[in-house]
Amino acid sequence: MARTLAMFTDTSLCIGCRACQVACKQWNELPLEQPEWTGSYQNHAHFTDKTYRLVRFVEKPKENGELAWLLMSDVCKHCAQAGCLEACPTGAIYRTEYGTVNINQDVCNGCRYCVSSCPFGVVAFNHDTGRANKCTFCNDRIHNNLGPACAKTCPTDSIQFGYRDELAAKAEKRVAKLKEMGHKDAQLYGVDTNGPLGGLNAFFLLLDRPSTYNLPEKPLLPQRNVLADSLLSVGSALLVGVGAVMAFRERGGKGGGHA
Amino acid sequence: MLRSPEWHMMIVWYFFLGGIAGGAYFTAAIADNFGGKKDRDVIRIGYFLSLLLVVLCGILLILDLGVPTRFLNMMGFFTFWNPMSIGAWMLGVFGLFAFVSSALSLWGSDSMVRFRRIWSLIGTITGFFLASYTGVLLSNSAQPFWSDARVMGALFLASGASTGMAAISLLMYLSGEAAGEGFEKVKRADRFAMIFELLVLALFLALLGSAAAPLTTGHMAPLFWVGLVIVGLVVPLVLDLVGAGLKVPAVVPAVLVLIGGFIMRYVIIMANA
Repeated sequence: MARTLAMFTDTSLCIGCRACQVACKQWNELPLEQPEWTGSYQNHAHFTDKTYRLVRFVEKPKENGELAWLLMSDVCKHCAQAGCLEACPTGAIYRTEYGTVNINQDVCNGCRYCVSSCPFGVVAFNHDTGRANKCTFCNDRIHNNLGPACAKTCPTDSIQFGYRDELAAKAEKRVAKLKEMGHKDAQLYGVDTNGPLGGLNAFFLLLDRPSTYNLPEKPLLPQRNVLADSLLSVGSALLVGVGAVMAFRERGGKGGGHA
Repeated sequence: MLRSPEWHMMIVWYFFLGGIAGGAYFTAAIADNFGGKKDRDVIRIGYFLSLLLVVLCGILLILDLGVPTRFLNMMGFFTFWNPMSIGAWMLGVFGLFAFVSSALSLWGSDSMVRFRRIWSLIGTITGFFLASYTGVLLSNSAQPFWSDARVMGALFLASGASTGMAAISLLMYLSGEAAGEGFEKVKRADRFAMIFELLVLALFLALLGSAAAPLTTGHMAPLFWVGLVIVGLVVPLVLDLVGAGLKVPAVVPAVLVLIGGFIMRYVIIMANA
């Protein structure tokens, strides 16, 4: 396995130009979509099957009543423990040698279990092709030693691309610096490989709590309860079974009659 | 911000019919193994109903795929901790069990009866799987309310058993066999299943707490409380216990149970549609 690659999105540097969103559309040949009114500059409200990079424009009230912009270029997190990958029954969703998570469009049959299993609501069903779509981490580009289109195009280095360990060290330094500068809520999201979902291979530096950015505070692997839920079902089966046996048993011992 | 898998009516029907298939097969297998001569109709109806429904289930599942011609892609891959993966396999395995049991219940010689009984007991495991894995599948997603519902599989299993028995009762009634002893036994078994289901439903709601809001207080609430709890569970139970004095046809509780079972799948799936 090659060294794990990552994207580090430093929201403190984002100026909301959406060049990443456009570069993603262009490189991945994603078709035009009807814009939607979200009440803000943000478009769309959320990822779609044709929008893999999305600049979020979060309006946060300041103490003096004015609004402050929190800008964040959001993307698939390429989780180390990926709910979509665990949910896929065809093997279409796979992990590349770089640690990224990808959907093989030639195998996906559109069951949509991955859509329901992404803790971030990233994976989207494409009604035109009948398959699930999401950010590919520009799989074609990284296999040719090019960074993802979004990172390549970002004019402020808000999106950085590189080896995960190096980027993580960079991120730690940056968050310490920001705290020093007085951004007391500055925090890293998904950088810790011992944290939720085993760490995210697209991790973030946020200037506020994750929930402010519409991110789960503590994302959980959807499949964590399969065993417990299954055992409860087995218990249910045994109880129902006992009831039925009692109802059907011939009085005075087992009936030997042939059906 | 989470995204809905857009599972709609085909999945509602699949979950509902899959539950009946598993429940009917299980009822027939129990009647086969523990019942007597007079339960022959229960056995045949149960096996054949499950066979018919498992075929329908397969068709529904395939049609719901984004690329239906790729349904075999699920058969080229297996992950034992993934409810969707095992479920697709088990649908096929259960179909085989239902087919052989059905065939042997009609044409089997006396020497095959023993084999059919053992075969059907083993098949019951796959039938139960079909009835309950759908709940485990929902409760192991990232969706609100589904992912908090720890006993969803147990609830679907109880409902599958109860609706399976109700479906057998309905078919026996329609084919004029409602007077037999078998019919009474199915009703007795269904009574137990309904009481159990009501208890599991109470546990389901208790464990969910405020997470049950999409069912109990949202726009699904009237359907949930009136359609499922009252019409689908409480009324048939009361009719079943005191119905003889009320001169209600014996088939009415069975029909209500089936309606309740459908509403259960509908409100739960459509809560995240």
